[in-house]
Amino acid sequence: MKRILFSNRVWLVIAFIALLVYPLVQRSQYYQHVMIMTMMAAVLSSSWNILGGYAGYTSLGHAAFFGLGGYLVALAHNYYGWHPFVSTWFLAFIVMGVALILGWISLRTHGSAFVVVTIAMVFIFRLVALNLSDITNGARGLTQPRPGWGGVQWSPEFIKVPFHYIMLLLLCLTIFVSWRIRQSKFGLGLIAIREDEGKAEAVGINTMLYKVLAFGISAYFMGVAGGIYSYFFTYIDPQFIFDVFTGVTMVLIAILGGRGTLWGPVLGAFIMEPLGNWLIGTFGGTQIHLTIFGGILLGVMLFMPQGILPTITNEIKRRAKARTVQVQS
Amino acid sequence: MTIPSTHLLIQTIILGLLVGGVYALMSSGLTLIFGVMRVINVAHGAFLILAAYLTYWLFQLTGLDPIISIVLTAPVLFLIGWGVQRYVLSRLENPERSSVLVTFALAITMEGLMGTFWKTTIRSVKPEYASEVIKFMTYRIPVTRLIGFGAALLVLLILYIILQRTNLGRAIRATIQDRNAAQLIGVNVQAVSAMTFGIGIATAAVGGSLLSMIYSFNAPSQTDWITRILSIIVLGGMGSLPGAFIAAIILGVMEQLTAVTVTLYWSPIVFYLFLFLTLIIRPQGLMGEIVREKA
Repeated sequence: MKRILFSNRVWLVIAFIALLVYPLVQRSQYYQHVMIMTMMAAVLSSSWNILGGYAGYTSLGHAAFFGLGGYLVALAHNYYGWHPFVSTWFLAFIVMGVALILGWISLRTHGSAFVVVTIAMVFIFRLVALNLSDITNGARGLTQPRPGWGGVQWSPEFIKVPFHYIMLLLLCLTIFVSWRIRQSKFGLGLIAIREDEGKAEAVGINTMLYKVLAFGISAYFMGVAGGIYSYFFTYIDPQFIFDVFTGVTMVLIAILGGRGTLWGPVLGAFIMEPLGNWLIGTFGGTQIHLTIFGGILLGVMLFMPQGILPTITNEIKRRAKARTVQVQS
Repeated sequence: MTIPSTHLLIQTIILGLLVGGVYALMSSGLTLIFGVMRVINVAHGAFLILAAYLTYWLFQLTGLDPIISIVLTAPVLFLIGWGVQRYVLSRLENPERSSVLVTFALAITMEGLMGTFWKTTIRSVKPEYASEVIKFMTYRIPVTRLIGFGAALLVLLILYIILQRTNLGRAIRATIQDRNAAQLIGVNVQAVSAMTFGIGIATAAVGGSLLSMIYSFNAPSQTDWITRILSIIVLGGMGSLPGAFIAAIILGVMEQLTAVTVTLYWSPIVFYLFLFLTLIIRPQGLMGEIVREKA
């Protein structure tokens, strides 16, 4: 047991160092871009997992908070000149506040009704962004100045590097918070809600408070990621950023890796995101990549409903057990 | 915000009722499927669009009237629906928890395929009577909407008769009430589920034909439709047919009224805002019962 823990830590440090030196070693703009998007996918999926994995409430609407973060940061940048790398961490608290209110309403429903309500949420946000064209510029979208710091624009060769490190920082923070929650009484409460909400309430867990808090925390990281994303692309529009598909992608990634586990969503992101980029690169322009994506999702749900990580862990445990039995006999 | 004249108001309400009828038809299959299987079929919108494309196809190739083509499209969609339940959804270990994602996967797979075959050009079926208008007193009623409303009511009536008067209907209602008990008294729940799914998808075939006449569509527009009808069944109470009917009429009228009094662009928001506001007061929907489902 001690050895497994030790080796896990070693792998963690290796992975972290690899991500730390990645943009210095890998100079290709394309692969730097893919890595940033992969880490963002891991952030989105991990923070979705706090509500969807631990508490078992499948939200397909978290793209709403991602988009809201993106819009707030873009607006603050354009109107007040706040630098997105700084402002996104604060503005995401507004996103969290909105999420707490929406969570308080939507978490009154359960199961499938909840899923529907969260989908409706994305559409409300999209329609509001489209229609408040005085502020959001409507369907034409918002443009930000090219990224830079202190009046100096970053050169095209360097431009991805700062985004790499801020995304890495966000990823570490998300995983850390997710890990702390997992270890805490709060996390245990969420898992109790997933297993049996009625019983959880009966043993004295304030289920509504727990659920709404989980909803808010996961929305915070969505907001931060959305803010960085909007600066990264320097352009956002309602159709693109408030997309149910974004919400479903993060769910697929979490399920593929292992819903409700700490590392599952991260693993899923490092598989799905590069694969998705390759698919779009190969079949781009056609709708075939949608079909393939749907096919993968179907396959995972039907044949590996637990996800990769739990399947592997169970296999290792089974083998270890088999070995001890052999030794004993 | 403009305050409309009484004449315009009544005109709008008539249109809203007609639209609501079509919405009711589209959501009836969805709520029926949920009632029986606790499966929420996110692919329902994709099936609507599939039916719309089949109608479009038949119309372009043979000039077949969209209403008559239902006779062909409904059985085809029934078989597809039956197969989906029998061979895919019945395999799920925990359908309540995973059906949403599985049917979502089905929806985007279908969207991708339809987008590949039929491209993303926006289509609509325009039979000769498409732009005709009937004058009733001083009110103008588009013929296609009237046909749509009539067809919707007819199908809902047939659905009602099937549910109330046939053995299959009794089995379906028994399964809705208590799946285990139904099984105990000898209902083949698996077969009933597959039949219900087939019937539910067949109503989508009718809905798709009507959609192809009244609205324009392409493969990605399935998302708009599924959100709309999902909102209807959540508002009505999941699994309740009368609830879906009432919710569809309310939302149809409200949507049209907003279009007239505020702007066309804000009208879809009314749908979702009304849904949210209702849930604050009645989380189980208008006609729903409080069920603690695990998910």
